[in-house]
Amino acid sequence: MQPPYFEYHNPVKILCGENALDRLPSELRQLAASRPMLLTDAVLQKLGLSNTLLDIMDAEGCPPACTFTDIPVDSSLSVVNRIAALYREKNCDSLLALGGGSVIDTAKGVHLVLSGNTDDILSLSGMENIPRGRHIPFIVVPTTAGTGSECTGVAVIRNEEQAVKMEFLSPFVAPDAAVLDPRMTLRLPPRATAATGMDALCHAIEACSCLQKNPLSDAHATASMRLVAQHLLPAVENGADATHRLCMALAATLAGIAFSNSMVGAVHAIGHALGGVCHLPHADVMAVLLPHVMRFNLPRAEHHYAELLPFLVGWEKAADTPKDERARAAIRCVENLTARLHELCGLPVRLRDMLVREGDFPRVAQTAINDGALIVNPASVSAAQVEQILHQAY
Amino acid sequence: MRRTLQKIYLSAVLRLVHAAICELQSLDKAAEGELLGLPVGLRYAICTGHGAPALFVEWDGAGLRRLREEPAQKCCRVRIKTMADAFILFTGRMSLAHLYARHGLVVAGEIADVMRLARLVNLAECYLFPAFITRRILPELPRLQASPLRLYARVFFGFLTNRY
Repeated sequence: MQPPYFEYHNPVKILCGENALDRLPSELRQLAASRPMLLTDAVLQKLGLSNTLLDIMDAEGCPPACTFTDIPVDSSLSVVNRIAALYREKNCDSLLALGGGSVIDTAKGVHLVLSGNTDDILSLSGMENIPRGRHIPFIVVPTTAGTGSECTGVAVIRNEEQAVKMEFLSPFVAPDAAVLDPRMTLRLPPRATAATGMDALCHAIEACSCLQKNPLSDAHATASMRLVAQHLLPAVENGADATHRLCMALAATLAGIAFSNSMVGAVHAIGHALGGVCHLPHADVMAVLLPHVMRFNLPRAEHHYAELLPFLVGWEKAADTPKDERARAAIRCVENLTARLHELCGLPVRLRDMLVREGDFPRVAQTAINDGALIVNPASVSAAQVEQILHQAY
Repeated sequence: MRRTLQKIYLSAVLRLVHAAICELQSLDKAAEGELLGLPVGLRYAICTGHGAPALFVEWDGAGLRRLREEPAQKCCRVRIKTMADAFILFTGRMSLAHLYARHGLVVAGEIADVMRLARLVNLAECYLFPAFITRRILPELPRLQASPLRLYARVFFGFLTNRY
């Protein structure tokens, strides 16, 4: 059913396919940028991925004016403010982010600070309240296939003082272009491939079942789900296959576009809280929580989940499933996928596998109910119910 | 004329919602818990459109005090994009969650503070509107810990004694 009103926004140009990275310098020129600041992390530098990019930029005569590699796994507000100060000091004119969700979200935060002409990202917190600022050319190159952050209008950044992950929501936070090149994910270990792939699936499923869902976000989310269902296991089993890698990168981007236009839900609200309080990796938490939250939401989202089954198992199998069984079959499909990934590469299936203390659950629950993602969850969720979900997932 | 009537209605209902939340502090444990969880000094500005009625309040640790003017200092500002949306929201035809889903809100400040406010407004609406209305807009109705009539009586007395 079509919602009475919805909005859709995707300003990101997507460069997708073999050797897409080679076109990045030309894209920078088109954006009138000549002194980019490169943001990446130490692991990618060690793996040589940043060198691949630097070689291309050097060859095309546009090396970065400055490179920042000290971005932690859970980036923070202070890191964002520090990088923005460095950008100004080095007189850069554009941003280039190479990395996973943390690097990209950090870069988005820096982009917000610079375009908003402020020194502190905290002054920009809110939702749809930030007017379009100065244009800072901004390109991202994801090195994982999961967050979809390259196409979303949200930056999730940790507030160290409050031990929470804060969401900065603005249509102007998205980059100008995203480069999806299979070379960037070929060396992603099986375990990380599995976790980030499940993150993408979680984005797609929540985008299709939350209150803000709309026909355009559904189209992207279901296309993403089909790609995940077909290519996640092969990408984990055979990481050197560029086709599976590219399809997973595309799945993550499609899911990112989907949830950027329809939001997520309780899986993310609880996941952000677990990340903020217990410092758990986001993608692992998504994989563990997804089936439990789907079961919780089932009474309110049964018809939405039932519609997802064909994209998860194919049309023939879905048609063979009785109509009133399809929603439960979709949840079972997610559980089976997680279990298979657990067998293949040790992806956690329970919170206890991640060394979480049950004693932290009340604090996690209190944090989760104040997360913005919860407002569009199909079922209302109280702190007690969050604790119940956490215990089930433990 | 229609806009003027909507303004009068919104002005009245904002005062009513504020008064109801204040009274619920002593009538409903859930409301009390939400209020006591607010950071002391937190200010909210709820605006219902350009040139339309607004509500400014401050949590002083004991009660949700109404402010006469929009706070100049940092506050959590929730602006409903159009007065028509505000009217639909405060006539019980749409929940805050659905208005959010329709991109009907602009928020300056921390999302966590908006979530706290949303739960308080939802709870107040459950007391102020009959169940057949709230059942239509909220996915789940909380168990009311006091009679809505008792709340209305206390709010009415509060208005009579110029407390709100």
